Amino acid sequence: MTSLQNGEAVVIVDGVRTPFCKAGTSLASLAADELGRQAVNALLAKTALDPGLIDEVIFGCVSQPAESTNIARVIALRAGVPERVPALTVSRNCASGFEAITEAYTRIRAGRGSVFLVGGTESMSQVPFYFRRDAAAKFNALARSKSLVQRLSALEAFRPSDFKPTPGLKLGLTDPVSGLNMGATAEILAREFDITREAQDAFALRSHQRALAGRERLAAEICPVFVPTPGGSKTIVEDNGPRENQTTTALAGLKPVFDRSGFGTVTAGNSSQISDGAVALLVMTQQRADELGLTPLGRLVDFAYAGCDPKRMGLGPVPAIRALETRGFSLADTDLVEINEAFAAQVLAVLEQLREVDEGRLNVNGGAIALGHPVGATGARLVLTVLLELRRRGGRQALAALCVGGGQGGALRLERI
Amino acid sequence: MQPEAINPFDSLKAGSQAIQEKWITEPGKICVLTFDKPNSSANTLDRATLEELARRLDQIEASPDIHGVVFISAKESIFIAGADFELLTKGPEHRELLAEYLELGQRVFNRIAALKVPTVAAIHGACLGGGYELALACDYRIATPDKRTKIGLPETKLGIIPAWGGSTRLPRLVGIPRALDLILGGKTPNAERALRLGMIDKVVPREWLLRAALQVIGRKTKAHLPFWRGWGNRIMATTIGGKARAEALRRTRGNYPATIAALDVIIAGAGEGFGDPAPSLARERKAVSDLAANPECRNLFRVFMLQEHARKVAKEAARDVPPVRRVAVIGAGVMGAAIAQWLSAKGIEVLLRDVDASRVGAGMGRITKLYADAVNHRSITPREARDGMDRISPVAYEAPLKRAEWVIEAAVEKLAIKEQLFHGLDAQTLPATLLATNTSALPVARIAASTGRPGRVLGLHFFNPVHRMPLVEVVIPEGGDPDVKRRALALVQQIGKTPVVVRDTPGFLVNRVLLPYLMQAAAAFDGGASVEAVDTVMLDFGMPMGPLRLADEVGLDVALEVAQTLAAAYPDRMSVPPFLAKMVEAGLLGRKSGRGFYDYPGAKGEPRTNWNALNFRTGGTAPDSVSLRDRMVYRMLDEAARCQDEKVVATAEDVDLGMVLGAGFPPFRGGPLRYADSLGAESIVAGMKALLMEPCARLQTMAAQNQKFYEDAAD
Repeated sequence: MTSLQNGEAVVIVDGVRTPFCKAGTSLASLAADELGRQAVNALLAKTALDPGLIDEVIFGCVSQPAESTNIARVIALRAGVPERVPALTVSRNCASGFEAITEAYTRIRAGRGSVFLVGGTESMSQVPFYFRRDAAAKFNALARSKSLVQRLSALEAFRPSDFKPTPGLKLGLTDPVSGLNMGATAEILAREFDITREAQDAFALRSHQRALAGRERLAAEICPVFVPTPGGSKTIVEDNGPRENQTTTALAGLKPVFDRSGFGTVTAGNSSQISDGAVALLVMTQQRADELGLTPLGRLVDFAYAGCDPKRMGLGPVPAIRALETRGFSLADTDLVEINEAFAAQVLAVLEQLREVDEGRLNVNGGAIALGHPVGATGARLVLTVLLELRRRGGRQALAALCVGGGQGGALRLERI
Repeated sequence: MQPEAINPFDSLKAGSQAIQEKWITEPGKICVLTFDKPNSSANTLDRATLEELARRLDQIEASPDIHGVVFISAKESIFIAGADFELLTKGPEHRELLAEYLELGQRVFNRIAALKVPTVAAIHGACLGGGYELALACDYRIATPDKRTKIGLPETKLGIIPAWGGSTRLPRLVGIPRALDLILGGKTPNAERALRLGMIDKVVPREWLLRAALQVIGRKTKAHLPFWRGWGNRIMATTIGGKARAEALRRTRGNYPATIAALDVIIAGAGEGFGDPAPSLARERKAVSDLAANPECRNLFRVFMLQEHARKVAKEAARDVPPVRRVAVIGAGVMGAAIAQWLSAKGIEVLLRDVDASRVGAGMGRITKLYADAVNHRSITPREARDGMDRISPVAYEAPLKRAEWVIEAAVEKLAIKEQLFHGLDAQTLPATLLATNTSALPVARIAASTGRPGRVLGLHFFNPVHRMPLVEVVIPEGGDPDVKRRALALVQQIGKTPVVVRDTPGFLVNRVLLPYLMQAAAAFDGGASVEAVDTVMLDFGMPMGPLRLADEVGLDVALEVAQTLAAAYPDRMSVPPFLAKMVEAGLLGRKSGRGFYDYPGAKGEPRTNWNALNFRTGGTAPDSVSLRDRMVYRMLDEAARCQDEKVVATAEDVDLGMVLGAGFPPFRGGPLRYADSLGAESIVAGMKALLMEPCARLQTMAAQNQKFYEDAAD
């Protein structure tokens, strides 16, 4: 085949994730570094890997907490990775979890290390609120004023509107170039590809049904998370996104959020959930895994990122997959496909363009519409989920892809060894 | 500014000396006295050192152009550890020597206090007792934020009071309430806390310690206490003095005379405001002379020495043993979680494993709460608590244990379960991993036999609550590897506990002596004594907790199980009152179920007698409180004598230390064997027979031959 097969094989040895929980619920009190730490602790315990063997820790995170800049380093140190092991945080928006894995791949293939602890973490519950710039300037002036007179005049400058913060989450989910909210980009695709509300809701319902049916299978990738409470600790063991009693009627009753013209189709029900969660994966060379006596879940064969129109960011997976195809990848030979469900409309538009992905192999254990989409962590979850499912089915080839806010797509070609 | 040394008093440099003298000319002529006792890691204020200090003061007083004096230590972890207490252990014939020694110290410190130039104590490391009293005699106190720096007056813990001016000067410096809290509690805060309490003036990193001291002297001012402090102390002495005394008496039940003596000296001295300290200093001396005549003081001191000795032995064993970094704890129940918490707090990474997420979760809840409590009590910072929590990896499945250097098992107390578990551990761990069980009564040898490495299996018996009980029983089965024992002692020492090596016999030491006592208490209750009566006599005896309350805290189900194991092992003298099983069956499990001998009204309220428990007992007539106490105490002494006789531990000292640290036997009584000696075997045997109890052969022989457990037992 191509030169891809020549360099050192990069394998994903093992992984775990926290449960994904809707923002503001069970995991809301845990900051992103704490979520990441618990996942890493669980992974190190599971694999019994000596963290001293790690060459670098790479974590994806979109909204890094202000108190944990370079969150990967914070996670690494708190999880007991030796101080001498460096760490970096990567962001490619929704593909940050992918980026952590592919960055490890790139470094391995460049001969810069052989063992990488990677993952993604996001606490969308704890994305901060911001003051407007002019309000912040007034706070600064107040902090700098010394005399009473100065202080009073600084205080006088404030207006009630200065105290109204902007939710960081809303800013993060808006594309600064096109000015469109992510949901609005999905509405564009729904219009252009003529994807009906019914089709979107049916897709969403199926996501919930599959996630519920796959609950036990998903449990294999989840480590319990312990949330401190005033009296002790609460144990969270499963995703709380999938809805037991989800019905077509209930979905149909929801109001479109992004297009209020009366013809909008994208609702909270057929969009991904805003969630908290973290994933940790162990990436190394096949040779290193052999030496350590570890049996990998699978191999990362190839990957691609590609750009597209930010207003149609949901189509991102298409150019990324096409790029893989130029290097010998064939959708037809792929046993399982994970395409992140940012929006039902967006996935359906991608499927329409790809034309060869049947539902039997797409998101078989549900997707972000049911499980949630903690942006920095999702990419790593797709890889973990699909590799475990591939092993369960005895399949060989898998694809994980997602769309990226700002107009990009990412696709990872995976293979069981 | 580079301090330059000149040496005007070369003659003093001759011979062995504990204090180095160095004269500095910038920012003025300053004398730096560095305490550095030769061939020792510690500085103490023994007689010779005090005399040497007095000679140095002669020179300083005679020096006309001096600007100040700095006291500093050259030791790594000690400023000055305190006085030399050897005289306290001696009999009354040394009373005069002791009085002289006290006077000498006071005289020297008074001279420091009277110097016309500024004086600074530059404190790095332990600054305790006499060491802090020296610092109190100085104008200024500067300390390092180092972990090793601890500052305070812990004398009351040894049954005496600060008598080199500490009881007089500390109240003047920090006020009565804080002085009472610090001296009566024997507290030794770190530098930051000491600064907040006003015990010291400044905290600076060790590298700048001397520079900071010189800078203070450069200001050329003597320290002045706030004028209102003298009046404040006078007022408080009259207003809160009486109340504080009554409270201290109630709390100590008259068992700790040093606490009361310290309080009296402090209050009387404070009542004199900023007047002449001489009368107060005289009261300090008299109090110590009086206290030293009591056996309580000698016993407290002895227990302290026993503990130091045990630590030293463990430290010796720990030499060349690399520190343990990773331990797996199996079982996240009360004990497992508490052990995991303690290890993690001591810097060890812990894999906490149990069979399902809810049990692990409950364990993590306990650990979270233990850390939260420690933060609330200010014994650790929130960051330290988080770091500790971060070291724990909870797992709810059979995770591999290949990285663990030790496994400590704290699962259910069922032999079959433990055997199966240890059998499994064989394959899950590396062959070099040491396997320990926290069993409180099961034979360790049997558990060891279920593995392929019986020589590397041992018992590490922690006591509940782990964070407060300083003892760990180390159980090495017959034929155990001596290296294993060494490493066990090293681990126990690493985590700041005191090890006692015990033989692999049912109940080991502490439970074996404690259980018959608890069963006597239960039998007395069964026979008609009230819960209060039983618990009160033992509280008066000096136990930290009454026996029935203790049973509640341990859990009646756990106590019952241990009691049954012991009753099976020693059927001739141990039995379990049947009502206990009925209480357990009815769900009265003690504190954890909210009801046992007492009712526990949630986290805040005081426990009250559980009248319901009365329904379970047989009833009868309540024994009088003296025979009630004697029954319980004699059983403990008798069983302790048996343990000594059967060499359950190596020495009588081990029995006493184990019971004081593991069971809370009153330290001022010196431990059960020491206490038995003070009663006399004859009197114990007669007393037991009068209560229709059968004393052991050892006690009978000792009674017949007028023997004692300790040859030097003077009282």
